Amino acid sequence: MSKRQWLWSIRLGAIALLLSFGATSAESALQINSDTTCMKCHKRNGQMLGHHGQDAMKMTCSTCHGEKGDHPKKPNDIVVFGIKDGSELDTQLAVCHKCHTQRKLGETEWTHNVHAQKVPCAACHKLHSPTEPMADMTPKVRSELCRNCHSGR
Amino acid sequence: MENSKRRFLKGTCALFAGATGASLLATVNAAEGAKAESDIKYAMIHDETKCIGCRACEVACRETNQVPEGVSRVRIEQTGPFGEYPNEYYHFSRISCQHCEDAPCVNVCPTGAAFIDKETGIVSVNAWKCVGCQYCIAACPYKIRFINPVTHAADKCDFCRETNLAQGKQPACVEACPTKALVFGNLKDPTSELVQVLRANPTQRAKVALGTRPKLFRILAKSGEVIL
Repeated sequence: MSKRQWLWSIRLGAIALLLSFGATSAESALQINSDTTCMKCHKRNGQMLGHHGQDAMKMTCSTCHGEKGDHPKKPNDIVVFGIKDGSELDTQLAVCHKCHTQRKLGETEWTHNVHAQKVPCAACHKLHSPTEPMADMTPKVRSELCRNCHSGR
Repeated sequence: MENSKRRFLKGTCALFAGATGASLLATVNAAEGAKAESDIKYAMIHDETKCIGCRACEVACRETNQVPEGVSRVRIEQTGPFGEYPNEYYHFSRISCQHCEDAPCVNVCPTGAAFIDKETGIVSVNAWKCVGCQYCIAACPYKIRFINPVTHAADKCDFCRETNLAQGKQPACVEACPTKALVFGNLKDPTSELVQVLRANPTQRAKVALGTRPKLFRILAKSGEVIL
């Protein structure tokens, strides 16, 4: 009886160990998040967990946000993405257009065509979060997204 | 004895006179009532210059009227892109029941399931009367009817007659539209927003030449015609 209990406790312990190992490894696995220069300050608000962070893409923070320059002093040349307090529209668009051509974007999704050079990509797309909000949207979520800006009443 | 006879005759005469008078009054009242009821004739405008193709109308309709997946009472047809990058644009047009005054679907329905509501002019379906023969689907020139996979009856837009309108609200699509591209109202009320918009804008209706007298108006976005 005591032997069986002992075996069970070992099994459970092993499972717990594996689980905790899995959890810690998932957090620090991506190469992009081991960039000590940025992560010194941005560990909390700068972890890159999205599709663009995968190792195979060999991207760093500066691939999109530009070189550090005078940052964190202001003014600096860091590219900030967003519709409200982001960098200049053209600056933001140029970064995404380095890889994503307008023609292909338009073929994939018609809304790219009508918003071309009018809104930054980050108005809808969120790259840092592990899930991209624009992927697998239900029709309802999608129409509500339109409503956020197009509210004529 | 004689007195009672006289009284009886008087009584019966009075009763008959009263009854005929009352029935006359009732018919007059009914006629007036019918007249008053037909003061409503609902119609809708889809302003394609305002439509952004967000399909909120489709979603709201599905939710409000419990339209199952795979079929729809209203959908937005998209054509394009037109123009050159970065100023490309699309056309959106509403595909839904036109609420014809001379509705072919109603004319062909053998059971009377398809009907025009006399009070409102709305073309509607009595699901329990429908036998699913699909004559109406074949007859509709606008191809907007379908068999509801749940009720197995013909189904289509009824301006939310049984849902939102019954609760004194605007149809679900109109309420949902973020850009106010849909206007719903009474054609016979000159003060209604619908009539005001109709007066102020050139509008079009689909397949007018068929004589169906549709009541879904479109405000065209840009010239889609051949330019000479």
